[in-house]
Amino acid sequence: MNGLLQVAGREVRTQVRSKGFIVGLVIMVLLVGAVSFAPKVMGGPDSYRVGAVASERLPIWGDTEVEWKDYADEGAARKAVLDGDVDAALVGGTRVLTDGAIDDELGLLLQSAHREAQIGSAGVTITPLAMESVGADTRYQKTRSGIAVVLVIILFMLVIGTPMMVAMGVVEEKSSRIVEILLTSLRPWQLLGGKIVGLGLVGLINLVAVVAAGLVGATASGLAVDFPPGMAGIVVGVLVWFVLGYLFFAAFAAALGSLVSRQEEVGNVLTPMTMTMMVTYGVAFYSVSSPTGTVATIASFVPPFSSMVMPVRAAAAETPFWQVAVSGVVMVMAVVGVTLLAARIYERAVLRTGARIRLLDVVKGR
Amino acid sequence: MIGRMLETQELRKTFGTGKVALDRVSFAVRPGEMFGFVGANGAGKTTTMRIVMGVLQADSGEVRWKGGPLGFAERRRFGYMPEERGLYQKMKVAEQIEYFGRLHGLSAEAAGKATGELVERLGLTERTKDAVESLSLGNQQRVQLAVALVHDPDVLILDEPFSGLDPLAVDALAEALRERARGGVPVIFSSHQLDLVERLCDSVGIISAGRMVASGTVDELRTAEGRKLRVIVAGAEPGWAEGLAGELTVEGDRQVLVTDDEDDQRVLRAAMRAGRVEHFGVERPTLTEIFKEAVA
Repeated sequence: MNGLLQVAGREVRTQVRSKGFIVGLVIMVLLVGAVSFAPKVMGGPDSYRVGAVASERLPIWGDTEVEWKDYADEGAARKAVLDGDVDAALVGGTRVLTDGAIDDELGLLLQSAHREAQIGSAGVTITPLAMESVGADTRYQKTRSGIAVVLVIILFMLVIGTPMMVAMGVVEEKSSRIVEILLTSLRPWQLLGGKIVGLGLVGLINLVAVVAAGLVGATASGLAVDFPPGMAGIVVGVLVWFVLGYLFFAAFAAALGSLVSRQEEVGNVLTPMTMTMMVTYGVAFYSVSSPTGTVATIASFVPPFSSMVMPVRAAAAETPFWQVAVSGVVMVMAVVGVTLLAARIYERAVLRTGARIRLLDVVKGR
Repeated sequence: MIGRMLETQELRKTFGTGKVALDRVSFAVRPGEMFGFVGANGAGKTTTMRIVMGVLQADSGEVRWKGGPLGFAERRRFGYMPEERGLYQKMKVAEQIEYFGRLHGLSAEAAGKATGELVERLGLTERTKDAVESLSLGNQQRVQLAVALVHDPDVLILDEPFSGLDPLAVDALAEALRERARGGVPVIFSSHQLDLVERLCDSVGIISAGRMVASGTVDELRTAEGRKLRVIVAGAEPGWAEGLAGELTVEGDRQVLVTDDEDDQRVLRAAMRAGRVEHFGVERPTLTEIFKEAVA
């Protein structure tokens, strides 16, 4: 175990000190922070300012806030509208001054408030319509989908990027033949395990930083108010699923990487892994828009697709805990299986330098 | 003297293509002995060393250490320098040496101390914080050696450690190896520089096409080669050496006879009768000559 930790320690130190890691992390953090803050900047206004000249302030229903401002005469109100100090001005309770066409929502609000005020003064009381959903609770749907999209992108980048680093590291050691020296003092499983654990920690540092940036951004922008219940569970789930997905693909990548001896061949030999990952990504992305559909439901139980589809499903729609748990257990079994197979391939292939080795030959022990 | 002895017994290795790489290779290196491993390219030196280091598995035969089978735990105490040099190119010199010390089981403190000493001895003090890739090849080779030495190994196995070094670096490395040998460590190294092997080594193994064709001390090999006399006679009539075994060559007005005739006095008398004897002595074949003879 000590050997494994030594190897892992070196991987972490090497990566964390590299420029690529720091630059990449800063970019990701800024990007995710910006994305989670963006709705505040880009979304429509959720409050209006309306001027009033010799008018009653109309009672506005609903969540939208209207800030009233009184003006002495129409001239002053007109100027305020043109200057953009207010979005519209109500004059004498009958006319609305605007700069060009009025914002649709504000127009509707003012019209219905005006109508109500008129009817109210005629002695009629109106009971507002009670809204009742007979479908799923969709109050958080937009936020849930947003979170799911961001998750797919982050998970994809990290789950594809980190195993890639594992494969490159394996080939680096193989091509420089340093592996010959390493394996006189380390068992193959220690070298492979240390590499996977170390780079996994680096990936996890990335993920935690990015998730934290997203949460901070969302809190700062006020978006966090719309977070669905169980947000903490979603975050923890993402971390766990990342670890599982990473382990699966990292073992896969290490086994394939150990078949070649030159860096130029890495991309090529990893094709089966990248293809699997692309399919996983595609299904996960599709699941964002249809988290309760058949495809998403089935894929969320099949490893390795489940590693990305299940967290997306859980974020995009409410998912029963037992389903998440079953899917998790299946994934853990897949990870163990792939790791054992990968360790076997790695052990047999990593000292055979030269031409690319056929996977079948290694598995059969030729 | 079984104490710290490294032996190989009848190592055999056949590669997938059916090529026999090693055919019953046996040799023994005593504690404190410098063993030079020589042979043509592809003769099996590297394969043998890789089997000793456990990087390759022999089809049959055994490597023994201190009279018992050699396992992973004991091998971890060996120092190894493979033919294809391998270092982390982007890692700093001192950090790298220390890392390998830790992998060999040293504590952080011990690894740091050993690294400090080695760096100073190998003249790398100025470069400790540089990435390996920024060093000259000679300096990279020193780092490679430091990696093999950092854990104060029980045995040293070095594949072509002198290749690519300038004469000063050769001397420095030779001294470093001698010092380890004096400390009782068996040292095995391969080399194409036969004069160097002859100068440094207590014993030599000559391998050819996977077979150990000769091994022993340089003197033993010379004896095995047989004692030869070399006689140079000026102004002799041709045919004076008739009746004496050996090879006669004519160089101008001199005749040179190389013979393995047992009776040196008879040869001398014949030579003196024939002309003026300019040289009469026992031939000391160089390792190069022994090598050529052995692999022929």
